Amino acid sequence: MNKRRRDLFAASPLTFLMIVLTVVLSIFPLYYMVVIATRTNDTIGTTPPPLTPGSNLGDNLGRLLANENAAFMTGMINSAVISLTLTVSVVFFSTLAGFAFAKLRFVGRNKLMLSILVTMMVPAQLGVVPLYMMMAKLEWANHLQSVIIPFLVNGFGVFMMRQYVSQSVPDELIEAARVDGCNTFRTYWNVVLPALRPAIAVLALFTFMAQWNEFFWASLAMGDPSNPTVQISLQHLSTGYYNDYAQVFAGTMLSILPLLAVFVLFGRQIIGGIMEGALKA
Amino acid sequence: MTVPTTTPSHAAPTPRPPRIDVSPRRLRGARRSRLDMKVSPYLYIAPFFIVFGIFGAYPLLYTAWVALHDWEVGTDNPTYVGLDNFTKILSDSNFWNAVLNTIGIFVISTVPQLLLALVLANALNKKLRGRTLLRMGVLIPNITSVAAVAIVFSQLYSRDFGLINWVLGFFGIGPYEWQAYKWSSWVAISTMVDWRWIGYNALIYLASMQSIPRDIYESAALDGASPSKQFWRITIPMLKPTIIFTVIISTIGGLQLYAEPLLFNGGASAFLGGSMRQSQTVTMYLMEQFYGRFQFGDMATVAWLLFLLILIFSAVNYAITSRLESSGKRGGAK
Amino acid sequence: MGVTLRRRSLAAVAILATAALGLVACSKSDDANTGSSSTEQITLNVDVFGNFGYEELYKKYMQDHPNIKIVERGTGGQLGDFTQQVTQRIAAGSGLGDVLAVEEGMSIDIKAKGNNFVDLKEYGAAELSGNFLDWKVAGMTTDDGKIIGLGTDVGGMAMCYRTDLFKKAGLPTERDKVSALWPTWNDYITVGKQFKANPAVKDAGFLDAVTNTYNTILMQEAGNTTGYTYFDKQGNYVTDSNPAVKKAWDLSVEILNAGLSAKLQAWTPEWNNGFKNAKFATIACPAWMTGYITSQNGDAGKGKWDIAKAPGNGGNWGGSWLAVPKQSKHPKEAAELAKFLTSPEGQIAAFKSKGNLPSSPKALDDPAVKAAVNEYFSNAPTGQIYGEGAKLLKPVYLGAKNVPVRTAVENALRTVEQGTRKADAAWTAAVADGKKAA
Repeated sequence: MNKRRRDLFAASPLTFLMIVLTVVLSIFPLYYMVVIATRTNDTIGTTPPPLTPGSNLGDNLGRLLANENAAFMTGMINSAVISLTLTVSVVFFSTLAGFAFAKLRFVGRNKLMLSILVTMMVPAQLGVVPLYMMMAKLEWANHLQSVIIPFLVNGFGVFMMRQYVSQSVPDELIEAARVDGCNTFRTYWNVVLPALRPAIAVLALFTFMAQWNEFFWASLAMGDPSNPTVQISLQHLSTGYYNDYAQVFAGTMLSILPLLAVFVLFGRQIIGGIMEGALKA
Repeated sequence: MTVPTTTPSHAAPTPRPPRIDVSPRRLRGARRSRLDMKVSPYLYIAPFFIVFGIFGAYPLLYTAWVALHDWEVGTDNPTYVGLDNFTKILSDSNFWNAVLNTIGIFVISTVPQLLLALVLANALNKKLRGRTLLRMGVLIPNITSVAAVAIVFSQLYSRDFGLINWVLGFFGIGPYEWQAYKWSSWVAISTMVDWRWIGYNALIYLASMQSIPRDIYESAALDGASPSKQFWRITIPMLKPTIIFTVIISTIGGLQLYAEPLLFNGGASAFLGGSMRQSQTVTMYLMEQFYGRFQFGDMATVAWLLFLLILIFSAVNYAITSRLESSGKRGGAK
Repeated sequence: MGVTLRRRSLAAVAILATAALGLVACSKSDDANTGSSSTEQITLNVDVFGNFGYEELYKKYMQDHPNIKIVERGTGGQLGDFTQQVTQRIAAGSGLGDVLAVEEGMSIDIKAKGNNFVDLKEYGAAELSGNFLDWKVAGMTTDDGKIIGLGTDVGGMAMCYRTDLFKKAGLPTERDKVSALWPTWNDYITVGKQFKANPAVKDAGFLDAVTNTYNTILMQEAGNTTGYTYFDKQGNYVTDSNPAVKKAWDLSVEILNAGLSAKLQAWTPEWNNGFKNAKFATIACPAWMTGYITSQNGDAGKGKWDIAKAPGNGGNWGGSWLAVPKQSKHPKEAAELAKFLTSPEGQIAAFKSKGNLPSSPKALDDPAVKAAVNEYFSNAPTGQIYGEGAKLLKPVYLGAKNVPVRTAVENALRTVEQGTRKADAAWTAAVADGKKAA
């Protein structure tokens, strides 16, 4: 019986293999990028393609940082500011709203939630041109406000948090908090938020990633090449008449480092056993 | 109705054994708490509606206004044409071709994607060696920017220099031009999409699975349930809200697919989706109106039609998903 | 609960930081425009794609006009992205630079939106017409007579070829001899078949992509015969009735049937690789293409390329103008700058810098231009080869919807190249799709 119990939560060798394979496939393109970033530009497009890293990274990075058209460091800094700000605001407002929709009762709750869902279905390109016109009128175009303010809170975050709260925070917990004298905000802050830790980690990670990688709106609103986001800066590198892929991928490598850092930071939250999380009963 | 809060309104300030330090201003506290209960929900959801109201609603309405006009980019006098644009687009075979492409790619990419993500999350939930690294590994595709992914995959699927054709060459299959045919471009694009999003969805499921207490599984195992039965009878029903979430998000995202097919096709008019519009999605068709034909009105029209399409599909998918789980599975505690 | 307090303040700080950011960034708006007094410091944005070769000119201009700062945006960028950005910015009513580069392909649309651009006659453009080839001026003169663009360069047309592949295939490599090989396109096809018959070059195509060749033939034919392509001068859709189009199409199909094409698609990474990996022996070559080949092939290709005369007569691919959008807050200064950059001296400087062929007859006659050679291309006398052709160019009328129609027709041709359609079916589709796009 004991052996069976142990086996229940262990992974079979087959499962392990499958996961490893998945991870290898997931990482391969990134690895390929590293290969190109550390070689010279001519090695791309040879058959078979090169599969081992070279030694040109310093060279490629040098050209990247000297490239005035790309303003790469400015791009990195801008993106860092944008992503950090939005991560904080989105997590905060989404958990707040998600909590309200999931656990608080009020008139119009379901209809309002549905309306938020509907707003999520609006295609991204639909309002782009008028929104740009707004930015131009407010004189926010090419400034960070244009990529921050309209995105302080979004339906995705609210929806996600609502689902998590309804799934992971039992009603009894809320009621216990009330009985103990917490007002709504205290309930949210002291009871709900801790229970949401894995979900918050995921949302924070996703928001940071999404904002870091965001390109379409930024290319419109922050089109001035002297004040780009990191993705725009990469775009300027990679769509030139002269495709210096080695430089582009060196830049991409650099641009991924902050993401990886955030990843490591929040990844532990998701991964480190959350057994103690929700049901502190 | 929630359990009435702490104090009855008529309570005299009789000292009670303090649980947490509650202020002695009980009367005011009571009123405050009623106000708090009434108002806070609206306060908490307000930020979203404020931001959307300013930056979402106005562009929406403006675009609707544009859709009712024959409006060429840069013109000074757009002409009002009512719903003519809609009739025009709806009778354009290229539009329906784009819809077919979009739905086709969506189905063959999303269904396996979510299933695999579930399986993967389940596997990652177990005790593994190096599990932190593995869990992080599956999210790497989502971290990589779309442009970088597109370059890599274009290389992979390249007719003359691609790795895939190179491998196929060993089996005697001639160098294939993946962009040239409908089915091959659909498959290629789906692999790009799946590669990117399986790990993402797996992580969402994983975070959810981790709040399912282990004792449920243990008691089920003691009752003789096999791992696969546990998966289908415990895990999936308990993940229902999360599954619904991913289905809806995937629908919304999948129907708006744009970057991957665009970069897959490449070239000067990539938004045409190939020489015969093999892989033109609705969003690419939308962009064609704007960038290719300079028709602002038509672009707005297609945008609204896409919106409608997403609404319909999300409703359908929601109905399917919620029905699937509701066999009265009250899985366990809660 | 000190922890709560700390957490709360953290949240508050975050929100304040967001707001503060907004305020700080808001107040940082330089570029306080207005003021037409010539001593006011102003910045002029010049929006370009690719490389116009104006760096030295900017320096000189800024020296002579210390109150003006010139910022070039979009250097080295692709034309496709550039066009899209321009469309967005016209639609949104703001965001365009003070001086805007307008490429041949987009020029028709820009002309159609002429009301968004300053009539440069107000700044003396009419007097400058002698500075440009006639058809270049006509290219950016609207129907109601406004001149909205000043010509920069012209593409011209020649045929660039790889001497290494020609040698392998047993063909002559000296440029005069090569030019003599193909006075007409039929001769070109014959040479191609000869090329392909040689097993030493079996992995290479004779040309890169049939659509490039098709367009070259079409523009030549149209210039020499009808004077228009897909639309006649009254604006009727004439793809099926214009003999120039049919001739170009038929020749292209012949090329495909002879297996001469490397079947690449222009402007894709595969096409770029094609240069590096010697996937094709010839490519239709306007003046600016030489710059592109140089960067794509790099040092490995030096001395392996040369330039011969193109089959047929004349032909032009590309070339741009500079326009001043009405969105500009400094139209006068922008117009002056545009005039400077497109003056004969400016064009000569650009030619020296990037090899862009001038559109000014005076510049074309300049001895420096005439004597120019391109070292990379085995010292081909580019000034001569392109210069002569440029003066002989005959204008071709392109309708307002030229770009989408052309794309539709070329896509149909591409399906024949890819083998997914037979030539007849493709022609029917070309006419039909083109009509739809019109």
